[in-house]
Amino acid sequence: MIFYYLRLAAISLRRNWGQTTLMILAIGLGIGVCMSIVTINYLMAKDPIPDKSSQLYYVQLDNWDPNRPAESPNEPPDQITWMDHQALMSAAKAFRQTGNASATAIIRKPDDDNFRPFLARIRGNHADFFPMFDVPFLYGTGWTSDAHRDWGADQVVVLSRETNDRLFGGEDSVGREITLGNPTEFSSNLFRVIGVLDEWRPVPRFYDLTSNYFSDPAEIFIPFGLILSQGLSRSGNTNCWKPTGDGLRAFLGSECVWIQYWTELRNHQEKADYMAYLDQYVTEQKEGGRFPRPLNNRLSNVNEWLDHENVVQPEAKMLLAVAVMFLVVCLLNTIGLLLSKFLGKSSEIGVRRALGASRGSLMYQYLVETAMIGFGGGLLGLLLTWLGLESMLAIFGSDASNLMRLDLNMVVAAVALAIASAIGAGLYPTWRACRIDPAAQLKSQ
Amino acid sequence: MEIGPIFRALLRNRTGAILIAVQIAFTLTVVLNAAVMINEQVSKAGRPSGLNEADTFHMQSEAIDTINPQVTINNDLRAIRETPGVANALQMNTIPLSNGGWSTGVRVQQGDDPPVYSAAMYMVDDQAIDTMQLKLIAGENFAASDVVWRKPDESGWPGRVIITKALAKSLFPDDSPETTVGRAILLGESPANIIGIVDQLQAPWTQSSQIESSVMVPQQFQTGSPRYLIRAEPGQRDRLMPEIEAQLAERERGRMIRNLYSMDEVRRRSYNLETGLAMILGFVMVVLLLITGLGILGLASLSVRRRIKQIGIRRALGASTRDVLRYFLIENLLITSSGVVLGAIMAVAFNIALVNAMNFPKIEWYGVPLGMVVLVLLGQLAVWGPARQACGVSPATATRTV
Amino acid sequence: MLDMKGIARIYQTDLVRTHALRDLTLTVNEGDFTAVVGPSGSGKTTFLNIAGLLEDFDEGSYLLDGENVAGLNDRQRSKLRNEKIGFIFQGFNLIPDLNVFDNVDVPLRYRGFPAAERKRRIEEQLERFGLTGRIRHFPSQLSGGQQQRVAIARALAGDPRFLLADEPTGNLDSASASGVLDLLEGLHTSGTTIIMVTHDPALAARAPSSIHLQDGRVVGNDEAAA
Repeated sequence: MIFYYLRLAAISLRRNWGQTTLMILAIGLGIGVCMSIVTINYLMAKDPIPDKSSQLYYVQLDNWDPNRPAESPNEPPDQITWMDHQALMSAAKAFRQTGNASATAIIRKPDDDNFRPFLARIRGNHADFFPMFDVPFLYGTGWTSDAHRDWGADQVVVLSRETNDRLFGGEDSVGREITLGNPTEFSSNLFRVIGVLDEWRPVPRFYDLTSNYFSDPAEIFIPFGLILSQGLSRSGNTNCWKPTGDGLRAFLGSECVWIQYWTELRNHQEKADYMAYLDQYVTEQKEGGRFPRPLNNRLSNVNEWLDHENVVQPEAKMLLAVAVMFLVVCLLNTIGLLLSKFLGKSSEIGVRRALGASRGSLMYQYLVETAMIGFGGGLLGLLLTWLGLESMLAIFGSDASNLMRLDLNMVVAAVALAIASAIGAGLYPTWRACRIDPAAQLKSQ
Repeated sequence: MEIGPIFRALLRNRTGAILIAVQIAFTLTVVLNAAVMINEQVSKAGRPSGLNEADTFHMQSEAIDTINPQVTINNDLRAIRETPGVANALQMNTIPLSNGGWSTGVRVQQGDDPPVYSAAMYMVDDQAIDTMQLKLIAGENFAASDVVWRKPDESGWPGRVIITKALAKSLFPDDSPETTVGRAILLGESPANIIGIVDQLQAPWTQSSQIESSVMVPQQFQTGSPRYLIRAEPGQRDRLMPEIEAQLAERERGRMIRNLYSMDEVRRRSYNLETGLAMILGFVMVVLLLITGLGILGLASLSVRRRIKQIGIRRALGASTRDVLRYFLIENLLITSSGVVLGAIMAVAFNIALVNAMNFPKIEWYGVPLGMVVLVLLGQLAVWGPARQACGVSPATATRTV
Repeated sequence: MLDMKGIARIYQTDLVRTHALRDLTLTVNEGDFTAVVGPSGSGKTTFLNIAGLLEDFDEGSYLLDGENVAGLNDRQRSKLRNEKIGFIFQGFNLIPDLNVFDNVDVPLRYRGFPAAERKRRIEEQLERFGLTGRIRHFPSQLSGGQQQRVAIARALAGDPRFLLADEPTGNLDSASASGVLDLLEGLHTSGTTIIMVTHDPALAARAPSSIHLQDGRVVGNDEAAA
């Protein structure tokens, strides 16, 4: 029977092509606009590391001004100081831990004069960074956490896949050398490649939310200590609440925050223990005159931290509400058009009833027809979603390109949503149509 | 013709009418809130920065092989200023509207625990006011002798500063800004005196709530990657941009010139989100109105088709084509009016929810009636075609049985 | 056999209670050609709708081919209608979107015949009524007489036990009308049971027997001489 209904639906849709076009257009536009915006929201809010997001904790310590919080009402600063970073790293109380910070450097190949130098984003981090965040390696490995290397005595780097493509044409470059130069201080130093990452772009870039977290991750990773010892140019945010004095030494001893600190804590007990350690550490520091504010340390897991940093912009939420209302209007429209379509078929319904069609089989027939409209609307909606994302990419520029991807989940969701909405919209009109009294229709002709 | 019978006839055929009314209500909700959002985003993206943006551009030199940056910077500046077509040029630590820069807490020197205002710090020389074409409303410009070099790791600030009118108003709320010249303030912990007030110079952070608070200090930043802000004579900018880039690269080989952008481009990039949001919402708004219009048209033409016989009877009973037209227009008016009344309530409720949830603009008092009128007109426009079609029904239709 | 006993049908609105049929008792036997005659409002149409299982009744009993119809659900009634009853209407009631072939196909689809069987039956019926050349035509391309012949072919395609005809000539000119009547008589001769509802006594006179209705009651029974 399904083929018969499909054929009947095709005939009916073709014979009223104007109405059909209008319905497909209404559903398609509704789905297109809705899905474009949902896609962006979904990618913004998506858990970037679902397997571990509840075990990775971001550390905040409140070393701020006694008179005013870093952020109202009473939020600690969103990064930590060099001094606290040193202390926490040396204590190593978590299962894994890493501080990290960003910098920029000019990259050259010492053995290739024709290579055009370029400015790269650098991330300084500790050895645990790679296993903690499940960073995939294509060649080589990260550095080991033996304290000597981790603090950067060896001048080693790990390249992102794209950087390796750019520098070495994608070949296994472990053992090759590059130089990292400071753009402002005219120094440059030789580094040896020990690892190359595979494709890795967590969206959003949860491990550093202090700058544009929808752009690509760092291009080059180096042991944290090298940022300072090689005099690279730090590029992240630095916030201070009191004067620092002149020079690097003064800066490192200051209350300026510029390091993001992550820990991996495998269960509640570990988390509770670490929290206790933090409180004990700050309490000790208070005796030395630091940490003038009341105890206010925080451990936030990945999703809590994304939420705290408002990764999903309120504007995006507003757009989502608008998109849903848009879809509602399109569906109301479709209900109206379907209602008029099916009620316009009253006499056919009467005849079919007289010839032996039960209500159930008519319901089936018209739902097949509605589903066909839904499928058409879904395909159009998919096309429009793609167009929508492309045009948003054109509007917002390539910084947002990670947000404008249509993944398979979203494709399936778009078509499913279209068919579900069409059938949802079709239920009432179909039900009304099947309630038509056949006797009345047969006589009135 | 009276509304009563039309209304009663409507009540007997509710479903279509309710669908249209609800559709209109949602449309009005979206349109009104989108409109205030668009208005806010567009006006935010169009705020003046205080600069002459049209003729100005900037670039950054990554002077990677330089031994002595001071010499290079001075030579660069001299050469740029002497280039024909250049009105003036300036080294700055950061560029307005560029979303990256330095800030410090500013407060007055007297009183205990005076409020601290965050202000952008611009390191400039005595040519800043002329280069950016700022309006000095009180006090004086820096003298050439005020300008000193600032080392990369230096903290603290010089003692003579020029601040914006908005910052002066925040610091000295009881005095008119022009009278605050000579007052003592603290930049972080460094004491300083205000020597001049400029009308406007925005901070670089376009999302900042204190975007009008800026301080200029007479310092040149000793850096290997200096930024230059260059103002061309009117009409010369586009010619000069590549010319000066080439000239700098030529004068010292091996350096990289980056971030060569006109101020128009800087503004466009910085307000990308705002203009993009406005465009998306504008698109959604237009398409929504279109769909609603088409929906009304579709249902109206159906209701005309269903009532051919009824219309014939009315015509046979003496209704003129005008009466038929008016019947459908009034019927539509009744439906859309109830829709816009519901929509007005929904729009305001949604707006209140948005205002509470985020920093969302309120709908202006005139917005609601304006939106209601627009949608009612849209309804009348959409129903016009089917209503004309109804007028074409012959009175003879009434006597046919089929 | 169609057997009605004491059938009553009452239409109830807020204000009025109308007896469309009251205490209707009649029997139509296998092979009969019965006309049901009466003026407008006499209950003819209600009778036809009840007989054709399009409408319920409020009192009495109705046995169709020995099966008690009361208490059947929609699906069972639809199945019974599909298998035992063929309808012919005054307005033909062909489905305008479907061509002649597909129109005749409709009841066979609901019967669930395989494709070959459907094709055989459709072609057989269309040939029987001289419509073979019109097989791909749409209803709007046919004359009234042709449309009614298609409708009769559609009604007979599923081999129903009863043919219910509602003013089958009402929308036709006299030539086509007599053609259709000849057809019905031919069908009767070949054994089809026909119940024809009409307000036209002249038409009723063509049927071997007739039942007169007035105000929802049987007022007379003619066994007309053949």
